[in-house]
Amino acid sequence: MASSEVAAAADPEDLFAPEVIADPYTYFGRLRETDPVHWNPRAEMWVLTRHEDLVWLLRHHELFSSAVISTDRRPPHPPIDAADGPLFEEVRAFRSDQLVEKDRPPHQSMRAAVHEYFTPQAMEAWRPFVRRAVAELLDEAEPQGRMDVLEALAAPLPVRVITQMMGVPEEDRDHLRDLADKLLYINRGEPDRMRHLMEGIDGMIEYVSPRVDERAESPADDFISVLAQAENDGVFTRHQVLVNTALLLFAGHETTMNLICNGTLAFIRNPGEWERLRADPEGAVRLATEECLRFDPPVKSTQRIAAEDVERRGKVIRKGDRLRWFMAAANRDPRAFEDPDRFDVGRQPNTHVSFGAGIHYCLGASLARVEGQEVFRALAERFAELRLETEELEYSPSVQFRSLTSLPVAWD
Amino acid sequence: MPLRVTVDHDLCVGNGQCVFLAPEVFRHNENRQSEAVDPAGAPRERVLQAASSCPTGAIAVVDATTDETLFP
Repeated sequence: MASSEVAAAADPEDLFAPEVIADPYTYFGRLRETDPVHWNPRAEMWVLTRHEDLVWLLRHHELFSSAVISTDRRPPHPPIDAADGPLFEEVRAFRSDQLVEKDRPPHQSMRAAVHEYFTPQAMEAWRPFVRRAVAELLDEAEPQGRMDVLEALAAPLPVRVITQMMGVPEEDRDHLRDLADKLLYINRGEPDRMRHLMEGIDGMIEYVSPRVDERAESPADDFISVLAQAENDGVFTRHQVLVNTALLLFAGHETTMNLICNGTLAFIRNPGEWERLRADPEGAVRLATEECLRFDPPVKSTQRIAAEDVERRGKVIRKGDRLRWFMAAANRDPRAFEDPDRFDVGRQPNTHVSFGAGIHYCLGASLARVEGQEVFRALAERFAELRLETEELEYSPSVQFRSLTSLPVAWD
Repeated sequence: MPLRVTVDHDLCVGNGQCVFLAPEVFRHNENRQSEAVDPAGAPRERVLQAASSCPTGAIAVVDATTDETLFP
Protein backbone atom coordinates (compact mmCIF):
# COMPACT_ATOMS: atom_id res chain seq x y z
CA MET A 1 0.00 0.00 0.00
CA ALA A 2 1.31 3.44 -0.91
CA SER A 3 2.24 5.63 2.02
CA SER A 4 -0.30 8.30 1.00
CA GLU A 5 -3.08 5.73 1.44
CA VAL A 6 -1.86 4.91 4.92
CA ALA A 7 -1.86 8.60 5.76
CA ALA A 8 -5.37 8.99 4.34
CA ALA A 9 -6.70 6.08 6.35
CA ALA A 10 -5.29 7.57 9.53
CA ASP A 11 -6.90 11.00 8.96
CA PRO A 12 -9.28 11.49 11.89
CA GLU A 13 -11.58 13.54 9.65
CA ASP A 14 -11.99 10.80 7.02
CA LEU A 15 -15.67 9.88 7.12
CA PHE A 16 -15.01 7.06 4.64
CA ALA A 17 -12.27 5.45 6.76
CA PRO A 18 -12.92 1.68 6.96
CA GLU A 19 -13.23 1.73 10.75
CA VAL A 20 -15.80 4.56 10.60
CA ILE A 21 -17.81 2.75 7.91
CA ALA A 22 -17.68 -0.48 9.96
CA ASP A 23 -18.65 1.21 13.23
CA PRO A 24 -20.05 4.73 12.96
CA TYR A 25 -21.25 4.71 16.57
CA THR A 26 -17.84 5.03 18.21
CA TYR A 27 -16.57 7.80 15.94
CA PHE A 28 -19.73 9.92 15.80
CA GLY A 29 -20.55 9.14 19.44
CA ARG A 30 -17.20 10.65 20.41
CA LEU A 31 -17.96 13.76 18.34
CA ARG A 32 -21.39 14.02 19.98
CA GLU A 33 -19.76 14.14 23.42
CA THR A 34 -16.72 16.32 22.62
CA ASP A 35 -17.69 18.61 19.72
CA PRO A 36 -21.39 18.29 18.82
CA VAL A 37 -21.25 21.04 16.18
CA HIS A 38 -18.04 19.99 14.44
CA TRP A 39 -16.38 21.46 11.34
CA ASN A 40 -14.89 18.71 9.20
CA PRO A 41 -12.23 20.43 7.07
CA ARG A 42 -11.67 17.43 4.81
CA ALA A 43 -15.32 17.14 3.73
CA GLU A 44 -15.83 20.91 4.17
CA MET A 45 -19.00 20.58 6.17
CA TRP A 46 -20.47 20.78 9.66
CA VAL A 47 -21.18 17.50 11.41
CA LEU A 48 -24.08 17.59 13.89
CA THR A 49 -24.59 14.69 16.26
CA ARG A 50 -26.79 15.62 19.26
CA HIS A 51 -30.47 14.67 19.35
CA GLU A 52 -31.53 18.12 20.52
CA ASP A 53 -29.53 19.82 17.75
CA LEU A 54 -30.98 17.60 15.03
CA VAL A 55 -34.55 18.30 16.12
CA TRP A 56 -33.72 22.02 16.20
CA LEU A 57 -32.15 21.94 12.74
CA LEU A 58 -34.98 19.92 11.20
CA ARG A 59 -37.71 22.16 12.55
CA HIS A 60 -35.97 25.28 11.21
CA HIS A 61 -36.32 24.64 7.52
CA GLU A 62 -36.15 28.40 6.89
CA LEU A 63 -32.57 28.43 8.26
CA PHE A 64 -31.40 25.17 6.69
CA SER A 65 -32.24 24.66 3.06
CA SER A 66 -32.76 21.21 1.57
CA ALA A 67 -31.63 22.41 -1.87
CA VAL A 68 -28.11 21.15 -1.27
CA ILE A 69 -27.43 19.63 -4.68
CA SER A 70 -28.68 22.64 -6.64
CA THR A 71 -27.16 25.33 -4.38
CA ASP A 72 -23.77 23.85 -3.59
CA ARG A 73 -21.26 24.49 -6.38
CA ARG A 74 -18.37 22.56 -4.80
CA PRO A 75 -16.98 19.55 -6.66
CA PRO A 76 -18.31 16.13 -5.68
CA HIS A 77 -16.87 14.54 -2.57
CA PRO A 78 -15.26 12.04 -2.66
CA PRO A 79 -13.83 12.92 -6.12
CA ILE A 80 -15.23 11.31 -9.26
CA ASP A 81 -13.40 10.23 -12.42
CA ALA A 82 -12.18 13.37 -14.20
CA ALA A 83 -13.98 12.51 -17.44
CA ASP A 84 -17.34 12.27 -15.64
CA GLY A 85 -17.73 16.00 -14.95
CA PRO A 86 -20.51 16.47 -17.53
CA LEU A 87 -22.34 13.45 -16.09
CA PHE A 88 -22.16 15.07 -12.66
CA GLU A 89 -23.94 18.14 -14.08
CA GLU A 90 -26.66 15.94 -15.57
CA VAL A 91 -27.10 14.13 -12.27
CA ARG A 92 -27.21 17.48 -10.49
CA ALA A 93 -30.00 18.73 -12.79
CA PHE A 94 -31.94 15.52 -12.22
CA ARG A 95 -31.58 15.49 -8.44
CA SER A 96 -32.42 19.18 -8.13
CA ASP A 97 -36.01 18.35 -9.06
CA GLN A 98 -36.43 15.78 -6.29
CA LEU A 99 -39.02 16.60 -3.66
CA VAL A 100 -36.36 16.13 -0.98
CA GLU A 101 -34.33 18.97 -2.59
CA LYS A 102 -37.19 21.49 -2.47
CA ASP A 103 -37.78 24.29 0.00
CA ARG A 104 -40.96 26.16 0.73
CA PRO A 105 -43.02 27.49 -0.89
CA PRO A 106 -42.90 24.93 -3.77
CA HIS A 107 -42.23 22.07 -1.37
CA GLN A 108 -45.54 22.56 0.40
CA SER A 109 -47.80 22.12 -2.63
CA MET A 110 -45.63 19.33 -4.05
CA ARG A 111 -45.67 17.43 -0.79
CA ALA A 112 -49.41 18.00 -0.39
CA ALA A 113 -49.98 16.40 -3.81
CA VAL A 114 -48.34 13.12 -2.80
CA HIS A 115 -48.94 13.14 0.95
CA GLU A 116 -52.38 11.55 0.94
CA TYR A 117 -51.04 8.46 -0.82
CA PHE A 118 -48.62 7.74 2.05
CA THR A 119 -50.57 8.43 5.25
CA PRO A 120 -50.44 5.81 8.03
CA GLN A 121 -54.02 4.85 7.21
CA ALA A 122 -53.36 4.49 3.49
CA MET A 123 -50.25 2.36 4.12
CA GLU A 124 -52.16 0.09 6.52
CA ALA A 125 -54.20 -0.98 3.48
CA TRP A 126 -50.96 -2.33 1.96
CA ARG A 127 -50.25 -4.61 4.94
CA PRO A 128 -51.96 -7.71 3.43
CA PHE A 129 -49.95 -7.31 0.21
CA VAL A 130 -46.71 -6.92 2.17
CA ARG A 131 -47.56 -9.90 4.38
CA ARG A 132 -48.18 -12.08 1.33
CA ALA A 133 -44.95 -10.96 -0.34
CA VAL A 134 -42.92 -11.70 2.82
CA ALA A 135 -44.55 -15.14 3.10
CA GLU A 136 -43.77 -15.95 -0.54
CA LEU A 137 -40.12 -14.94 -0.21
CA LEU A 138 -39.69 -16.88 3.05
CA ASP A 139 -41.49 -19.95 1.67
CA GLU A 140 -38.82 -20.07 -1.00
CA ALA A 141 -35.93 -19.64 1.42
CA GLU A 142 -37.05 -21.76 4.37
CA PRO A 143 -36.47 -25.29 2.96
CA GLN A 144 -32.87 -24.37 2.13
CA GLY A 145 -31.88 -23.96 5.76
CA ARG A 146 -29.99 -20.76 5.02
CA MET A 147 -30.28 -17.48 3.15
CA ASP A 148 -28.58 -14.21 2.47
CA VAL A 149 -31.18 -11.98 4.14
CA LEU A 150 -30.28 -9.19 1.71
CA GLU A 151 -30.66 -11.23 -1.49
CA ALA A 152 -33.57 -13.42 -0.45
CA LEU A 153 -35.74 -10.95 1.44
CA ALA A 154 -34.54 -7.40 2.09
CA ALA A 155 -33.77 -6.41 -1.52
CA PRO A 156 -36.69 -8.03 -3.38
CA LEU A 157 -39.43 -7.04 -0.91
CA PRO A 158 -39.35 -3.24 -1.28
CA VAL A 159 -38.99 -3.48 -5.07
CA ARG A 160 -42.06 -5.72 -5.19
CA VAL A 161 -44.04 -3.25 -3.10
CA ILE A 162 -42.91 -0.14 -4.96
CA THR A 163 -43.39 -1.60 -8.43
CA GLN A 164 -46.92 -2.61 -7.34
CA MET A 165 -47.50 0.97 -6.17
CA MET A 166 -46.22 2.23 -9.51
CA GLY A 167 -48.59 -0.12 -11.30
CA VAL A 168 -45.75 -1.92 -13.06
CA PRO A 169 -46.55 -5.34 -14.54
CA GLU A 170 -44.87 -8.30 -12.87
CA GLU A 171 -42.69 -9.15 -15.89
CA ASP A 172 -41.00 -5.72 -15.68
CA ARG A 173 -40.00 -6.13 -12.03
CA ASP A 174 -36.51 -7.45 -12.75
CA HIS A 175 -35.80 -4.56 -15.09
CA LEU A 176 -36.92 -2.09 -12.41
CA ARG A 177 -34.83 -3.83 -9.80
CA ASP A 178 -31.83 -3.55 -12.08
CA LEU A 179 -32.48 0.20 -12.44
CA ALA A 180 -33.01 0.53 -8.70
CA ASP A 181 -29.60 -1.08 -8.11
CA LYS A 182 -27.98 1.53 -10.36
CA LEU A 183 -29.76 4.38 -8.60
CA LEU A 184 -28.19 3.15 -5.36
CA TYR A 185 -24.90 4.74 -6.47
CA ILE A 186 -26.43 8.11 -5.69
CA ASN A 187 -24.56 8.57 -2.41
CA ARG A 188 -21.66 6.20 -2.71
CA GLY A 189 -17.97 6.97 -2.75
CA GLU A 190 -16.69 5.08 -5.80
CA PRO A 191 -14.97 7.33 -8.41
CA ASP A 192 -17.00 5.76 -11.28
CA ARG A 193 -20.35 6.14 -9.53
CA MET A 194 -21.72 8.82 -11.91
CA ARG A 195 -21.79 6.39 -14.85
CA HIS A 196 -23.86 3.77 -13.00
CA LEU A 197 -26.14 6.44 -11.63
CA MET A 198 -26.73 8.04 -15.03
CA GLU A 199 -27.60 4.65 -16.52
CA GLY A 200 -30.18 4.22 -13.78
CA ILE A 201 -31.59 7.71 -14.32
CA ASP A 202 -31.79 7.37 -18.12
CA GLY A 203 -33.34 3.93 -17.77
CA MET A 204 -35.99 5.23 -15.37
CA ILE A 205 -36.91 8.17 -17.60
CA GLU A 206 -37.18 5.88 -20.60
CA TYR A 207 -39.33 3.40 -18.69
CA VAL A 208 -41.59 5.83 -16.87
CA SER A 209 -42.27 8.46 -19.60
CA PRO A 210 -44.78 6.45 -21.66
CA ARG A 211 -46.49 5.29 -18.46
CA VAL A 212 -47.01 8.88 -17.33
CA ASP A 213 -48.63 9.64 -20.70
CA GLU A 214 -50.94 6.65 -20.18
CA ARG A 215 -51.92 7.62 -16.66
CA ALA A 216 -52.50 11.24 -17.59
CA GLU A 217 -55.08 9.95 -20.13
CA SER A 218 -56.64 7.27 -17.96
CA PRO A 219 -55.81 7.57 -14.26
CA ALA A 220 -55.62 4.43 -12.10
CA ASP A 221 -55.09 4.12 -8.34
CA ASP A 222 -51.29 3.93 -8.58
CA PHE A 223 -48.58 6.38 -7.60
CA ILE A 224 -47.76 7.44 -11.17
CA SER A 225 -51.41 8.51 -11.56
CA VAL A 226 -51.08 10.67 -8.45
CA LEU A 227 -48.08 12.43 -9.99
CA ALA A 228 -49.71 12.67 -13.42
CA GLN A 229 -52.71 14.33 -11.76
CA ALA A 230 -50.36 16.75 -9.98
CA GLU A 231 -48.86 17.59 -13.37
CA ASN A 232 -52.34 18.30 -14.73
CA ASP A 233 -52.92 20.56 -11.73
CA GLY A 234 -49.72 22.46 -12.50
CA VAL A 235 -47.98 21.41 -9.26
CA PHE A 236 -45.33 19.21 -10.91
CA THR A 237 -43.59 19.66 -14.25
CA ARG A 238 -43.15 16.57 -16.41
CA HIS A 239 -39.49 16.44 -15.47
CA GLN A 240 -40.46 16.52 -11.80
CA VAL A 241 -42.93 13.69 -12.32
CA LEU A 242 -40.18 11.52 -13.81
CA VAL A 243 -37.59 12.48 -11.24
CA ASN A 244 -39.89 11.83 -8.31
CA THR A 245 -41.05 8.48 -9.61
CA ALA A 246 -37.38 7.51 -9.69
CA LEU A 247 -37.01 8.98 -6.21
CA LEU A 248 -39.78 6.73 -4.95
CA LEU A 249 -38.03 3.66 -6.32
CA PHE A 250 -34.68 4.74 -4.96
CA ALA A 251 -35.78 6.11 -1.59
CA GLY A 252 -37.97 3.15 -0.76
CA HIS A 253 -35.41 0.56 -1.79
CA GLU A 254 -32.10 0.82 0.03
CA THR A 255 -33.65 2.29 3.18
CA THR A 256 -36.06 -0.62 3.60
CA MET A 257 -33.31 -3.07 2.72
CA ASN A 258 -31.20 -1.63 5.53
CA LEU A 259 -34.03 -1.64 8.05
CA ILE A 260 -34.55 -5.35 7.42
CA CYS A 261 -30.85 -6.33 7.43
CA ASN A 262 -29.75 -4.12 10.32
CA GLY A 263 -32.78 -5.09 12.39
CA THR A 264 -32.27 -8.80 11.76
CA LEU A 265 -28.61 -8.46 12.72
CA ALA A 266 -29.54 -6.65 15.95
CA PHE A 267 -31.89 -9.52 16.85
CA ILE A 268 -29.19 -12.11 16.12
CA ARG A 269 -26.71 -10.28 18.33
CA ASN A 270 -29.27 -9.86 21.13
CA PRO A 271 -30.88 -13.28 21.58
CA GLY A 272 -32.73 -12.18 24.71
CA GLU A 273 -34.54 -9.49 22.71
CA TRP A 274 -35.29 -12.05 19.97
CA GLU A 275 -36.96 -14.19 22.66
CA ARG A 276 -39.03 -11.20 23.80
CA LEU A 277 -40.29 -10.69 20.25
CA ARG A 278 -40.89 -14.40 19.76
CA ALA A 279 -43.00 -14.57 22.91
CA ASP A 280 -45.59 -12.30 21.26
CA PRO A 281 -44.68 -11.43 17.65
CA GLU A 282 -47.97 -9.76 16.84
CA GLY A 283 -48.08 -7.66 20.00
CA ALA A 284 -44.40 -6.77 20.35
CA VAL A 285 -43.46 -6.06 16.75
CA ARG A 286 -44.46 -2.40 16.56
CA LEU A 287 -42.21 -1.21 19.36
CA ALA A 288 -39.51 -3.68 18.31
CA THR A 289 -39.46 -2.21 14.79
CA GLU A 290 -39.10 1.30 16.24
CA GLU A 291 -36.13 0.05 18.24
CA CYS A 292 -34.56 -1.46 15.11
CA LEU A 293 -34.99 1.92 13.44
CA ARG A 294 -33.32 3.68 16.37
CA PHE A 295 -30.54 1.26 17.19
CA ASP A 296 -28.93 0.84 13.76
CA PRO A 297 -30.79 3.24 11.45
CA PRO A 298 -31.05 2.62 7.68
CA VAL A 299 -29.85 6.16 7.00
CA LYS A 300 -26.87 7.32 9.06
CA SER A 301 -26.95 10.94 7.99
CA THR A 302 -28.50 13.47 5.62
CA GLN A 303 -27.54 16.99 4.61
CA ARG A 304 -28.70 20.59 4.53
CA ILE A 305 -27.16 23.88 3.47
CA ALA A 306 -27.35 27.01 5.63
CA ALA A 307 -29.73 29.63 4.19
CA GLU A 308 -28.34 32.32 6.50
CA ASP A 309 -25.69 32.79 9.18
CA VAL A 310 -26.66 30.83 12.31
CA GLU A 311 -24.94 30.40 15.66
CA ARG A 312 -25.14 27.12 17.58
CA ARG A 313 -23.11 26.06 20.61
CA GLY A 314 -20.71 28.94 20.10
CA LYS A 315 -19.98 28.05 16.46
CA VAL A 316 -20.94 30.33 13.60
CA ILE A 317 -22.42 28.47 10.65
CA ARG A 318 -22.18 30.69 7.59
CA LYS A 319 -24.75 31.01 4.84
CA GLY A 320 -23.83 28.46 2.16
CA ASP A 321 -22.08 26.09 4.59
CA ARG A 322 -23.05 22.45 4.24
CA LEU A 323 -24.24 20.51 7.28
CA ARG A 324 -24.52 16.77 7.71
CA TRP A 325 -26.67 15.57 10.58
CA PHE A 326 -26.14 12.09 11.93
CA MET A 327 -29.24 10.33 13.17
CA ALA A 328 -26.96 7.36 13.90
CA ALA A 329 -25.32 9.48 16.64
CA ALA A 330 -28.46 11.31 17.81
CA ASN A 331 -30.31 8.00 18.25
CA ARG A 332 -27.63 6.99 20.78
CA ASP A 333 -27.61 10.33 22.63
CA PRO A 334 -27.76 9.58 26.38
CA ARG A 335 -29.54 12.93 26.90
CA ALA A 336 -32.50 11.60 24.88
CA PHE A 337 -32.42 7.84 25.57
CA GLU A 338 -31.83 5.80 28.69
CA ASP A 339 -29.07 3.23 28.24
CA PRO A 340 -28.83 4.22 24.55
CA ASP A 341 -26.39 1.51 23.43
CA ARG A 342 -28.74 -1.21 24.62
CA PHE A 343 -31.07 -2.80 22.04
CA ASP A 344 -34.37 -2.86 23.95
CA VAL A 345 -37.39 -4.02 21.92
CA GLY A 346 -39.82 -2.67 24.51
CA ARG A 347 -38.40 0.88 24.54
CA GLN A 348 -41.12 3.50 24.94
CA PRO A 349 -41.27 6.35 24.22
CA ASN A 350 -38.78 6.01 21.40
CA THR A 351 -38.17 9.44 19.90
CA HIS A 352 -35.61 8.32 17.32
CA VAL A 353 -34.93 10.64 14.40
CA SER A 354 -34.42 7.90 11.82
CA PHE A 355 -37.17 9.37 9.62
CA GLY A 356 -36.05 12.94 10.27
CA ALA A 357 -38.54 15.51 11.54
CA GLY A 358 -40.27 18.66 10.35
CA ILE A 359 -41.53 19.39 6.85
CA HIS A 360 -39.30 16.78 5.19
CA TYR A 361 -40.22 13.95 7.59
CA CYS A 362 -39.86 10.75 5.57
CA LEU A 363 -42.85 10.48 3.23
CA GLY A 364 -42.52 6.69 3.21
CA ALA A 365 -42.19 6.25 6.98
CA SER A 366 -45.52 4.45 7.36
CA LEU A 367 -44.71 2.11 4.48
CA ALA A 368 -41.27 1.34 5.95
CA ARG A 369 -42.92 0.58 9.28
CA VAL A 370 -45.41 -1.82 7.73
CA GLU A 371 -42.63 -3.59 5.81
CA GLY A 372 -40.35 -3.83 8.85
CA GLN A 373 -43.15 -5.03 11.11
CA GLU A 374 -44.27 -7.70 8.67
CA VAL A 375 -40.73 -8.98 8.14
CA PHE A 376 -39.75 -9.16 11.82
CA ARG A 377 -43.08 -10.71 12.76
CA ALA A 378 -42.76 -13.39 10.08
CA LEU A 379 -39.14 -14.16 11.00
CA ALA A 380 -40.07 -14.46 14.68
CA GLU A 381 -42.95 -16.79 13.88
CA ARG A 382 -40.85 -19.04 11.67
CA PHE A 383 -37.40 -19.21 13.21
CA ALA A 384 -36.55 -20.08 16.79
CA GLU A 385 -32.96 -19.08 16.18
CA LEU A 386 -31.04 -17.44 13.34
CA ARG A 387 -27.26 -17.91 13.22
CA LEU A 388 -24.75 -15.76 11.41
CA GLU A 389 -22.78 -17.81 8.88
CA THR A 390 -19.88 -15.39 9.11
CA GLU A 391 -18.67 -12.66 11.44
CA GLU A 392 -17.02 -10.90 8.47
CA LEU A 393 -19.80 -8.47 7.66
CA GLU A 394 -19.18 -5.52 5.37
CA TYR A 395 -20.90 -2.20 4.89
CA SER A 396 -21.08 -0.14 1.68
CA PRO A 397 -18.69 2.83 1.61
CA SER A 398 -21.38 5.48 2.17
CA VAL A 399 -21.66 8.33 4.66
CA GLN A 400 -25.40 8.45 4.16
CA PHE A 401 -26.51 4.83 4.26
CA ARG A 402 -25.86 2.03 6.72
CA SER A 403 -25.94 -0.77 4.17
CA LEU A 404 -24.71 -4.30 4.73
CA THR A 405 -23.38 -5.89 1.54
CA SER A 406 -24.74 -9.29 2.59
CA LEU A 407 -26.18 -10.99 5.67
CA PRO A 408 -25.84 -14.78 5.42
CA VAL A 409 -27.82 -16.62 8.10
CA ALA A 410 -28.73 -20.23 8.82
CA TRP A 411 -31.29 -22.06 10.98
CA ASP A 412 -32.10 -25.61 12.06
CA MET B 1 -71.35 18.61 18.35
CA PRO B 2 -68.06 19.82 19.81
CA LEU B 3 -64.82 17.94 19.30
CA ARG B 4 -61.91 17.30 21.62
CA VAL B 5 -58.63 17.30 19.70
CA THR B 6 -55.29 16.29 21.23
CA VAL B 7 -51.77 16.15 19.83
CA ASP B 8 -49.31 13.66 21.34
CA HIS B 9 -46.05 15.57 21.64
CA ASP B 10 -44.00 12.37 21.95
CA LEU B 11 -45.08 11.65 18.39
CA CYS B 12 -45.47 15.06 16.73
CA VAL B 13 -42.50 15.81 14.46
CA GLY B 14 -43.72 19.18 13.25
CA ASN B 15 -44.40 18.01 9.71
CA GLY B 16 -47.16 20.59 9.50
CA GLN B 17 -49.82 18.72 7.51
CA CYS B 18 -52.48 19.55 10.10
CA VAL B 19 -51.51 23.22 10.14
CA PHE B 20 -51.66 23.20 6.35
CA LEU B 21 -55.05 21.47 6.14
CA ALA B 22 -56.81 23.10 9.09
CA PRO B 23 -54.92 26.28 10.05
CA GLU B 24 -57.84 27.51 12.15
CA VAL B 25 -57.60 24.44 14.37
CA PHE B 26 -53.88 23.64 14.56
CA ARG B 27 -50.93 25.90 15.14
CA HIS B 28 -47.23 25.25 15.68
CA ASN B 29 -45.92 26.20 19.10
CA GLU B 30 -42.44 27.62 19.66
CA ASN B 31 -40.96 24.09 19.46
CA ARG B 32 -42.62 23.70 16.07
CA GLN B 33 -44.92 21.04 17.42
CA SER B 34 -48.60 21.17 16.64
CA GLU B 35 -51.23 22.29 19.14
CA ALA B 36 -54.99 22.20 18.77
CA VAL B 37 -55.90 25.80 19.51
CA ASP B 38 -59.53 25.78 18.36
CA PRO B 39 -61.23 22.41 17.78
CA ALA B 40 -64.33 24.24 16.54
CA GLY B 41 -62.39 26.36 14.06
CA ALA B 42 -63.07 24.15 11.03
CA PRO B 43 -65.75 21.72 9.87
CA ARG B 44 -65.51 18.29 11.49
CA GLU B 45 -64.59 16.60 8.17
CA ARG B 46 -61.58 18.82 7.78
CA VAL B 47 -60.42 18.21 11.38
CA LEU B 48 -60.69 14.47 10.75
CA GLN B 49 -58.85 14.82 7.45
CA ALA B 50 -56.06 16.68 9.22
CA ALA B 51 -55.89 13.98 11.91
CA SER B 52 -55.78 11.12 9.42
CA SER B 53 -53.19 13.01 7.41
CA CYS B 54 -50.67 13.21 10.23
CA PRO B 55 -47.60 11.20 9.15
CA THR B 56 -46.93 10.01 12.69
CA GLY B 57 -50.52 9.50 13.83
CA ALA B 58 -50.07 12.03 16.63
CA ILE B 59 -53.58 13.51 16.50
CA ALA B 60 -56.62 12.07 18.28
CA VAL B 61 -60.17 13.33 17.81
CA VAL B 62 -62.97 12.60 20.27
CA ASP B 63 -66.61 13.68 20.26
CA ALA B 64 -66.68 15.85 23.37
CA THR B 65 -70.38 15.16 24.03
CA THR B 66 -70.41 11.39 23.76
CA ASP B 67 -66.69 10.64 24.40
CA GLU B 68 -66.75 8.57 21.23
CA THR B 69 -63.34 8.24 19.54
CA LEU B 70 -63.61 9.54 15.98
CA PHE B 71 -59.91 9.12 15.11
CA PRO B 72 -57.87 6.94 15.12
